[in-house]
Amino acid sequence: MAEQDITQETSRVYSLNLGPQHPSTHGVLRILLDLDGEYIVKADPVIGYGHRGHEKMGENRPYKQFLPNSSRMDYLSGMIFNHGFVLAVEKLVGIEVPERAKYIRVIASELNRISSHLLWFGTYVMDLGGFTPFLYAFDDREQILDILDSVSGSRLTYSYCRFGGVCRDVDSRFIDMTRAFLKRMETRWADYDNLVTKNIIFIHRTRDVGIIDRELCRQYGVTGPNLRACGVSFDVRRSEPYEVYDRLDFEVPTGSKGDALDRYDVRFKEMQQSCRIIDQALDQLPGGAFVAEKVPQKLKPPKGDVYTAFESARGLSAYYMVSDGSPGPYRCHIRVPSFGNLNALNDVLPGTMVADAISILGSIDVVIPEIDR
Amino acid sequence: MSSDWFRLILGLLIALGFSQLNALFLVWLERKVAGHIQLRPGPMEVGPHGLLQTIADGVKLVGKELILPFKADRKLFFLAPVLVFTPVLVGFLVLPFGQNMIIRDMNLGVLLIFGFSTITVLAILAGGWASNNKYALLGAVRSVAQNIAYEIPLLLSVMSVVLMVNSLSFSEIVNSQKTVWFIFLQPLAGLIYLISATAETNRAPFDIPEAESELVAGFHTEYSGMGFGLFFLAEYTNMFIVCAVATSLFFGGWQGLFGINLGIPGVFWFLFKTYALIFIIMWVRWTFPRVRFDQLMNFAWKVMIPLSLVNLVITAIVLKFV
Amino acid sequence: MKLKEIEKVLVEKFPDAPLSRDETGMSGAQWSIAVALSGIREAAKAFDKAGFFLESITALDFEDTFELVYHFNYYEPKSRVVVRMLCGHDEVPQSICDIYRGAVWLEREVHEFFGIKFSGNADMRMLLLPEDADYHPLRKNFGKVSAYHKREVIYG
Repeated sequence: MAEQDITQETSRVYSLNLGPQHPSTHGVLRILLDLDGEYIVKADPVIGYGHRGHEKMGENRPYKQFLPNSSRMDYLSGMIFNHGFVLAVEKLVGIEVPERAKYIRVIASELNRISSHLLWFGTYVMDLGGFTPFLYAFDDREQILDILDSVSGSRLTYSYCRFGGVCRDVDSRFIDMTRAFLKRMETRWADYDNLVTKNIIFIHRTRDVGIIDRELCRQYGVTGPNLRACGVSFDVRRSEPYEVYDRLDFEVPTGSKGDALDRYDVRFKEMQQSCRIIDQALDQLPGGAFVAEKVPQKLKPPKGDVYTAFESARGLSAYYMVSDGSPGPYRCHIRVPSFGNLNALNDVLPGTMVADAISILGSIDVVIPEIDR
Repeated sequence: MSSDWFRLILGLLIALGFSQLNALFLVWLERKVAGHIQLRPGPMEVGPHGLLQTIADGVKLVGKELILPFKADRKLFFLAPVLVFTPVLVGFLVLPFGQNMIIRDMNLGVLLIFGFSTITVLAILAGGWASNNKYALLGAVRSVAQNIAYEIPLLLSVMSVVLMVNSLSFSEIVNSQKTVWFIFLQPLAGLIYLISATAETNRAPFDIPEAESELVAGFHTEYSGMGFGLFFLAEYTNMFIVCAVATSLFFGGWQGLFGINLGIPGVFWFLFKTYALIFIIMWVRWTFPRVRFDQLMNFAWKVMIPLSLVNLVITAIVLKFV
Repeated sequence: MKLKEIEKVLVEKFPDAPLSRDETGMSGAQWSIAVALSGIREAAKAFDKAGFFLESITALDFEDTFELVYHFNYYEPKSRVVVRMLCGHDEVPQSICDIYRGAVWLEREVHEFFGIKFSGNADMRMLLLPEDADYHPLRKNFGKVSAYHKREVIYG
């Protein structure tokens, strides 16, 4: 923390704009910093540069037409958000999903989670100055994008999950590619460990940096790996299991201190746990239909609310939709985890240095278009 | 007397030409090393294996508009890149490229090089201040602090070698390494010198002044075209000078290992060793993340300076009594 | 269990507030409680004391009224609670930003999209919209609107 008495020497404080065009702010984010030398006195994130009005769009479209929108908010967990939206509508209308489709959706979501964490890993270390792991991580991520591309047709924003199942069945090529990917990653974890995790400079840049403790998490509604790094084991896949997560055996990694190194560790282990989930899901993948038989073309949902929470790569996300009986929602609200995660910076950044601000911002893994919607 | 002047002017012209070629080669080497470490081939399009890429880049840079930022100090702004590059050229005059291939064999050679290379700090500060940009100023101020902090262990480690040889002249230092290179006699000093040299030339992991992902580009944020080009030229030339000094002081200069020359002329040994050291510096850049600024300063003042002082004292004691 | 505790506390504080259980799981919560406009601060304090976190604040625009929906959650399975509050088009609800710091941004978002002012929240700048925006997009009299109902049409 800065030891100087700032209130006496306000003339020393100058304001600096971090962003909105900046190599390290992930998306279009602007943080107004009040600096005293190298130390941050006040931090005020300014967002909204990417506001596209998804919630208003949701009110003016039938549920089916909102499907592409669902991927485009958090584009790095596009499949997971797509999955969540489909779950919400299925819950509302009461569509039964065949087992095979459930497993396929879980596999696709977990692959998406790994690809999101890989991108985060690459860009985070690049922000700290190590340019090489970025390319290694993207090499791995390309494998995932190829796998998902082969079955859904898109690399980043998917409309693969449909009401009642998925739009296309997975074939043996998909299964082979996924198994090959899992096998490849087994050796990669050790590589990343040697290159980054055990690197003394990296450890010095992340240990005890940007500690977000339990109480702060609770105040701001921080969820996901940021929360788990404080030691709170809260994962929607465990607390409100959806699809087949209750049949799969996986751990929820937690940290202890809540510093950047813990957040890094938690995400790293989550990737490995996701690989474990995919492995089991592939083993348990049943035959059968990949989409429900009778899905009405024009949905006639009952009136009322539906709220479906799911675990995206960044934390607890949810679709809250109010239906008035028509084919489209009356209100479509999306709860995004990065909203609270970024908000917490108001309290975390003051007292740290500018270089640390980059490290902290990278470690909380925000995607700005998700906040802006 | 006039032949001295002639030699000097010819030497300066050769130095100028060599520094251009050197920068050309090093930019290409950097991109290739970076590429291969990152599992990609680097430039391959322009020329065989991208050898002519730097020329293409140079032509592009020359053709760009020289932008003067709003309310920037015009004279300082355009003087800074020139000031960064020119003093470094003086260093070429005293480097021992081969047995009789020093342009001017001064008996204060070491002092000359370090004296002139410090002027770059002033130039960086001038560039950062004149840009009228907070990011640039932050970068320049950091650079000054970093350079000052790492000058001291740099010079102290060099002093350990100078103590052993009793002379500041490069040719004498190289000649006294006939039997054994000083890196074996002074490993700590060599290591300290290499680390400080990396910090002096603002190379990663000490490249905070130009931290790409933090301050956009540090002190040369506002420079475009040839101003930017000159900063880069200066950086690579500086890198060469610093590694050449390391070769001369610690790795035997133009001599082979333990005096075994294998019939190859000294100048090739010299260049080979210098470029090997440059390669190691580049390797380090693409492997490690960046050190935070206060950690960097702590490292300099609390680790490097005490160690180099201890090394100097031990050297003095050993020389006195052995 | 935290959920039972908080239910007891809330029923005690708001004896007249209707508490509806959700057996189907449709609303994502076990039960939801409807408090009066002045009651949100008491409720939020109770949740804060019990250790819940504020998941989201959102608003619904009906012809006859606004409705503010607060979701609170705890770090245990199936612990979500919904607090609903009717707020007329001209009424000013109280802010809970001194109880939950995260509410500052959530209330800013509700304000800019619906025009609901929160008393006690000093920071009512635009969050997602441009700084000089003087419109409220999610209101049903802005832009393209497919339906505008009274509240009883949906909730009966």
